[in-house]
Amino acid sequence: MPESNETRERILRIAEIIIEELKLEEITPESFDPDMDLVGELGVDSMDLATVALVLQDEYGVFIDEDDYPKLKTIRMIAEYLQSRLQGGKD
Amino acid sequence: MQDGANPAVTTNAATEPCAVAGHNAVGKRAGIPEEADRRRWKFSELLVERDVRARWEKVRKYFFLRESTYDMSNRCNLRCDGCYYYEGEKQFAAENGDAGAWRALMRTEKARGITYVVLAGAEPSLVPGLLEVCFAEMPLGCIATNGVRRIEPAVGYKIHISVWGNDATSFRVRKAGDLLKRQIENYRDDPRAVFVYTFTRENVDEAAAVVDMLAAANCRVTFNMFSSPVGYAGPLRHDGASLVRTREAMAEMMSRHPRLVLFSPYSAVAHTHALGLHDLYRCSYPRMNASTDLGLGRSFRQFRTDLSWDRDAACCVPDTDCADCRHYAAGSAVVTARLYRHVTDPWTFRSWLDYVDTYLAVWVMGYEKGENLCAEMISPPGCEETVKG
Repeated sequence: MPESNETRERILRIAEIIIEELKLEEITPESFDPDMDLVGELGVDSMDLATVALVLQDEYGVFIDEDDYPKLKTIRMIAEYLQSRLQGGKD
Repeated sequence: MQDGANPAVTTNAATEPCAVAGHNAVGKRAGIPEEADRRRWKFSELLVERDVRARWEKVRKYFFLRESTYDMSNRCNLRCDGCYYYEGEKQFAAENGDAGAWRALMRTEKARGITYVVLAGAEPSLVPGLLEVCFAEMPLGCIATNGVRRIEPAVGYKIHISVWGNDATSFRVRKAGDLLKRQIENYRDDPRAVFVYTFTRENVDEAAAVVDMLAAANCRVTFNMFSSPVGYAGPLRHDGASLVRTREAMAEMMSRHPRLVLFSPYSAVAHTHALGLHDLYRCSYPRMNASTDLGLGRSFRQFRTDLSWDRDAACCVPDTDCADCRHYAAGSAVVTARLYRHVTDPWTFRSWLDYVDTYLAVWVMGYEKGENLCAEMISPPGCEETVKG
């Protein structure tokens, strides 16, 4: 099923946040593969992920439990996670 | 052997994680204004103040550090009461003194993402050639030594020199005469050196004189807490009263030698709380953490002298009784990893930054500690314990 514009925009915004917070070079939100394994392939560690989660929490007004960090393996999974949290109502 | 349970410190952590018998729970966290404790803070709001933002940017540069630890030798030139190395199976591992094997191990470690090595047990200074090999392959790290034998300056790791009290106590517990004098002679004015004073139940009152002596020699000092090996129920094990006295002694030393004592008020709280680090922060080392998804659970290994490792035993101080663990090395990783829990309010976040700033100054060459941002001793997140029992 093709992704909606809303999902696409969210994926780009998450990519932008990750690039900015982790100071990634030579990658743009558009070129960031939303299915790339952030831990296994990009080398993102727990502290990086915690930082990104805190920024996302601010941006979307949702609560991201630290026990859920391992679920945030790719940008697409983060987008889906946020979507589910947003549907469940803001924290 | 008894299981080492300490009757003076009882917890009901299953239902109330931080309600501690013998401490006054007052319904709010110590050190934090009530109105700040009630509202929800955004992470971005916590970063508004310039000094906090600067400290955050300073410490986050080191989030790339990923540690593993390595027992370098199964020999030691001291034999101390309560030594964690000579507990459990690891002491019986054969010593691999082959420089090529260590070089290959370091390269493999680097390839799997390790960026920081802790060279320890039993006494790394007895294998100087291996230290040089490790340093040539992995530029960031630390050596835990008793300081009896000087490590060559060419090995540019941080060097942690263990101090367990004054010379009389060292003689009794470690069977070593004039130990402090020898340690200072070996490491005075050495930018690698941090003297690690381990508080036991018995040596709290000696700390001031020892730290004064180290400070007079311009030596930097940090603090460790004796954490009992599994099954140890001897006189070094802390009880509720010694934890309170230790916290007071730490505060006094920080106040007396702010430039040379590398510590923070929150470091004191985290390491002298009636609950150990695991109960307070949930230890993330493999031994207590089944998840291999992220962080230490994914990458940490503790290598024995034969270069083998066992995930079920892997932590920074193997064979320590986890319920009694307040070890400085454990806290450096475990408290730091709990960033998320410390973004609740400005005081808690500042305290966490102080903790991380302290740990980096203790463990990373060239990192200089800033002034503590929070002078208050605030309770760990989720806890309602007051500072004094």
